Amino acid sequence: MVYLATPEDWQRQSSLLLQARPTTARITTKYKIPNLESSKYQKALKRKRDTETGEKDNAAPKVPKGSLVLKTYDPESGVVLKFKTDKAADVGRLIGGLGRLGRHMAALPESTEGECTLPSATWSQLTEFNKDAVMEDAGAPEPTTADSSRTAKAGPSSDSKPQQAPAGSGSGGGGKKKKKGKK
Amino acid sequence: MAKEHLSNEAFFTQLTSLIEKTQQKGHGAVYLTQKRLTFDASSTTTTAQKIADDPLWDLNPPNPLPLIIRATDGKSHKLGPEGTKGGKGGRTKNADKVKLKTVVQPDDLDAFFAKYAEVCKAGMQSLKKRDRSKRKKASKKKGGAGTGGDGKV
Repeated sequence: MVYLATPEDWQRQSSLLLQARPTTARITTKYKIPNLESSKYQKALKRKRDTETGEKDNAAPKVPKGSLVLKTYDPESGVVLKFKTDKAADVGRLIGGLGRLGRHMAALPESTEGECTLPSATWSQLTEFNKDAVMEDAGAPEPTTADSSRTAKAGPSSDSKPQQAPAGSGSGGGGKKKKKGKK
Repeated sequence: MAKEHLSNEAFFTQLTSLIEKTQQKGHGAVYLTQKRLTFDASSTTTTAQKIADDPLWDLNPPNPLPLIIRATDGKSHKLGPEGTKGGKGGRTKNADKVKLKTVVQPDDLDAFFAKYAEVCKAGMQSLKKRDRSKRKKASKKKGGAGTGGDGKV
């Protein structure tokens, strides 16, 4: 029972497991909304009230926080890989990942188009692999990749400056920028 | 396993209502499972037969295999009459457990998962929404570097 730290890690390890055990391994996705009325949560609340003064509790815990747990399990070897998240933003790409893992299960070749259309930026691990592969193939393009990433970094910042300027110019742009930086 | 496999379409509509029901109730869970389908309903034996002494028998099947996707509400047991947990007769098998299943053919895989992601994204409303104010800046920087590097290589 391991919780992996990042979705990329989970994806990679699961994909390795599925390549090794495509028939027996399964992936379970659990979406859970906890029952705040259950005794478990009541106890937790009581303890908090004992230690702190209970006014904070009244505001905070009324909305149950859902969670999403992905689990890859292979009964034959007993391997369990888990990843837990509570962010809605992860759902889309995690399910996309399930699709790619599904291709291993179905014994299809790794996806051809799907991979390109996915937001590759979020799968930084994958792109790193790609870069490594390129560098091994030919040492020459290394400086060009570095240049391109530099220009890319410069790109968004130069874009965002003109956006901020007109907004701030109404009431002292310099002051506003500093405040934003501090936050 | 009383019910038959649903079509992909019917599976999605029922899954949507299952997630919605859980969401409205305010608590509960939805379990989604995916697995290679090695059992062929038309023949009595499994399609992919295990070859003795070869641990790698299933690595390179001749044809792509379908997947089976299951969804349940995880309620295998009912609580006793007074809501008591455990004890004699406190838990009984729940005949009303929601069980959905569908078979996805290899050709439909990409389309299925695209729809699947949509259904899940729309349904799972109790997860934390993206914090627009702070996180956007950080992700923008990361994203810009990643895509830029990739596109030009």
